[in-house]
Amino acid sequence: MAFQDNSGDIILDVVLTDEGRRRLAKGDGSFSIVKFALGDDEINYELFNTAATTALQDLSILQTPILEAFTNNMSSMKAKLLSLSNNNLFYLPILKLNTLANASVAAHTAGNFVVCVDQNTTDNKPLGLTTSIGYSAAGTPNAGMLFGVSTDNVGTYIKIDAGINSTNVTEIDESLIETEFSIEIDSRLGSIVDKSGKVFLSPTAVDDDFIATYILRKTPNSPFVFTPSQEALEAASSPINGPIASTLEFKIRSSQDLRVSNYLFDRIGSTNTYTNAAGTNSTTKTIDSIVRITGLSTGYALDLPVRFAKL
Amino acid sequence: MSIFKQLGSQDIVSTKTLLHEAIPLTGTILSGAYGLRGSERNIKDYAHGMFQSVYDYPYLSSSANHVMDITVGYHSSTSLSMSTGPQNSKKINIYNQMAQVLMGYDKDGNIQKFDKDGDLTGGDKITACYFLNFSRLLTKDEIKKGSFELLLNVGAGSGSASSVGSSAGHTDSASNIRIQDVGASTNYRVNSPAGEYGILYAEEATNSVDLINAASATNGSNATHVPVGLIYYQAGVVVLTSSVFLRASSSFGNNGILSNVGYGDATQPAVHMKSDSTALNAAGAAATVYHAFKSGSISGSCDGLRDRIANIQFNNTIELNSTIHFCRLNHNEFNYSSNPTYLTGSQIRVKQNIQSDPVSYITSIGLYSADNQLLAVGKLSEPIRKDPTIELTFRARLDY
Repeated sequence: MAFQDNSGDIILDVVLTDEGRRRLAKGDGSFSIVKFALGDDEINYELFNTAATTALQDLSILQTPILEAFTNNMSSMKAKLLSLSNNNLFYLPILKLNTLANASVAAHTAGNFVVCVDQNTTDNKPLGLTTSIGYSAAGTPNAGMLFGVSTDNVGTYIKIDAGINSTNVTEIDESLIETEFSIEIDSRLGSIVDKSGKVFLSPTAVDDDFIATYILRKTPNSPFVFTPSQEALEAASSPINGPIASTLEFKIRSSQDLRVSNYLFDRIGSTNTYTNAAGTNSTTKTIDSIVRITGLSTGYALDLPVRFAKL
Repeated sequence: MSIFKQLGSQDIVSTKTLLHEAIPLTGTILSGAYGLRGSERNIKDYAHGMFQSVYDYPYLSSSANHVMDITVGYHSSTSLSMSTGPQNSKKINIYNQMAQVLMGYDKDGNIQKFDKDGDLTGGDKITACYFLNFSRLLTKDEIKKGSFELLLNVGAGSGSASSVGSSAGHTDSASNIRIQDVGASTNYRVNSPAGEYGILYAEEATNSVDLINAASATNGSNATHVPVGLIYYQAGVVVLTSSVFLRASSSFGNNGILSNVGYGDATQPAVHMKSDSTALNAAGAAATVYHAFKSGSISGSCDGLRDRIANIQFNNTIELNSTIHFCRLNHNEFNYSSNPTYLTGSQIRVKQNIQSDPVSYITSIGLYSADNQLLAVGKLSEPIRKDPTIELTFRARLDY
């Protein structure tokens, strides 16, 4: 996309997204604009110079050239503006991937999470084989390996903490607590389940690019979103060094397409090697993807690299 | 706290706007720009020979745009109709096809003839005519009423190949007549099944040469003009009577519009290359419009007309339906950001202390469905500052 002409009047270049056009073409009333949000994707707030005089503080920011609108609905509005009634806030909550709480939330050494899409990839010892990559030679689950078909509450799950990463704050304002999260994942590859693998969810929407959106709300017995006891928190159990408002826990279940077919692996994937149950290397077909988690109260978003692997 | 703001019923409004584009078609596009006649690379003739397509560039190129189709036809009741005439049935079929679409049927189910003044209860009919079918690419939703103008050369010619056409000598602007839908913006007809239509009138482009028979002029609002055809605005079709190339009184009848003074019987405009037609050559007569329609091919008559066209221009109309979303930002809204660079740690980077105002910079506006799907997105041409001292309203317009 080109930059917009910023030499004259301020103009607003509005386009329908591909998802908007798809819904318009469906003609079933699903194209209905009911709300708006504002974004600042191009802005780098590090350019805000608090040491300069007031008129010059944001000079660099205001000179930022703006790209034309993308028509891909997933490419725009990644960073949104927030409405908060309190103008005297100095700290805002952030989302952080928690890989510290216990051994089951640790990421793979490569820094991503690996979804073993079928039982053969997870554990094929019962078949007399040792090529599976879910377990180590010692029989313990490998770090960062999500068992894509397991419902036995084993293997890795993903834990996200939402809180204020500063010891200058001891309590989080009620209005800053995340009570809803959205998770976006390529529905061709996987779906969202609870950390035990037993509670399945239905996406609230699947767009034209097969991106499924799940909305997870904090409810009294929710297996996904809860508020941890502040007293029980220890500094070493969370990457957030301060009060934590909410925690999100979930796992990814591999899609049936990946389990029964290699089509997507051959089309959009590659191959990688992982240490198998014998302590040697197994070559697997892999697909690299992104899972996006967004706090719907703060709009703060986190992109997790996730790899789907199959022997 | 929220990242979305609901749009109320007062925030969404629908409007309709008519946009007009000026469409100029110079005579050189229609004739002579891409080769000699008979081998013009922007003119497409078909094996069936029923019409001819005009492009703005050699049609084998992917850059070519379809401009219009030209054809001719006459009613079976005219003296032109002759079973042995070349493409006789096709000319009749063309006339009937166009008439049934543009004029419809009478109470007995018969196809109505094209009417000279739009009053179907009587009056003169147009029974032999040229059809100019403009591409939808040019006319869009419709031709703007009162904007159509066709400059047509009606200079005298002997009928030989070299004397026909603007590319071969008929470039004298003194011999042009101007055909317009005069007054059509307020005076048009609605009794056609194909939408609204207007009457085309001819006048001399310059007053120096006596081209038009004064007695042919209508009485009424356009007293100095002569009706020569119809223009169908939504259909994008011009029906041009063949009488436009015929003198008022001649051996071919008394229906022409051209001056008896300015033209001799043998010097009426030639509108057909005789060499195109064995029948015409055998007749040895001038390739007048009478001969062209009766004894010439459709494509030959189309060639003749194209060569006579000096200029066509009109304005098209695009009906733009828009929905405007008023995105209203109150002073206490959208002052913070979830941009990762907005925080260092969790501290807001743009605030020097807790009392200073938060500030954010807007670059995008997203319009969302109830299930949070981004349906439309707008980008500002430059960042706009937002803080608690500022209220803004953005108008996001979607055109359909």
